[in-house]
Amino acid sequence: MYGWIWRHLPGNAWVRALISLVLVLAVVYALFQYVFPWAEPLLPFGDVTVDGSTGTGGGQ
Amino acid sequence: MSVRLIVRTFSELCITIGALIVLFVVYVLFWTGVQAADATEGQIDSLRSRWAHGPVSAPPPRSSATPNAPNASKEPPAPAAYRDGKPFAMMYIPRFGKGWEWPVLENTEVRTLQKGLGHYTGTARLGATGNFAVAGHRRTYGDPFKDFPELRPGDAVVLTDGTTWFTYRIGRKPYRTVPSDIGVIDPVPRKSGFDGPGRYLTLTTCDPEWGSSHRLIAWAHLDATQPVTEGKPAAFHS
Repeated sequence: MYGWIWRHLPGNAWVRALISLVLVLAVVYALFQYVFPWAEPLLPFGDVTVDGSTGTGGGQ
Repeated sequence: MSVRLIVRTFSELCITIGALIVLFVVYVLFWTGVQAADATEGQIDSLRSRWAHGPVSAPPPRSSATPNAPNASKEPPAPAAYRDGKPFAMMYIPRFGKGWEWPVLENTEVRTLQKGLGHYTGTARLGATGNFAVAGHRRTYGDPFKDFPELRPGDAVVLTDGTTWFTYRIGRKPYRTVPSDIGVIDPVPRKSGFDGPGRYLTLTTCDPEWGSSHRLIAWAHLDATQPVTEGKPAAFHS
């Protein structure tokens, strides 16, 4: 799939490399800005309260 | 030829997933801390600027939900309710290091705990009779309660609301329980060793460090108060 992307980028090798770099940075930015903040609370590191809504259940 | 294509695509997929996982670990271990440092700084700034402008007990009537507004000028005004999601106090625990300072915000929602410590809505106010209960991250978002198990009886937990210093003293070593054990934040917390009504403080965080199967609880009782005009309490120097 990376080969397919590379072949469909315009320009010579330098231009393609530059565009690839921009694409990679855009993906990393989107991950850090939107995807990871959404995914992180699904992991258990944030369960620090005793409200019974997580873990063993019960409570309120 | 098609086998080569499949193998190549599969390996590219594996590399992509690997890179994703590495990036996510970087996010959790490092980036949440950077964000928390930023957010905490903002909360502390807003607290300090609010304290610099007039007394804390009489905030600007922005909330408009105070029914006792008319004739409150003569009597000392009833303390304003903590505003949801907003900081109202600073906490210092000398055991966790000299530079350990965190804002305490109202409520314990996910977004709130990303900016500081969270005060359980419905538990007592700071310094009041009852149980002032606070939750904080053990790991990620600045690791505020990373050293939670190091707490020992007699350790100071110092808080200020801008007008008064409150020094609480830890009563016993951290207590490990299950997440559904909401009795630990009762006005007279169960298992805490306190046997009558009093001015208590409860800290909660997760246990194990990176897990969520249990909670660590620390209890303290109010030991001393002093106005901020008299300088920092002695607990900072011990």
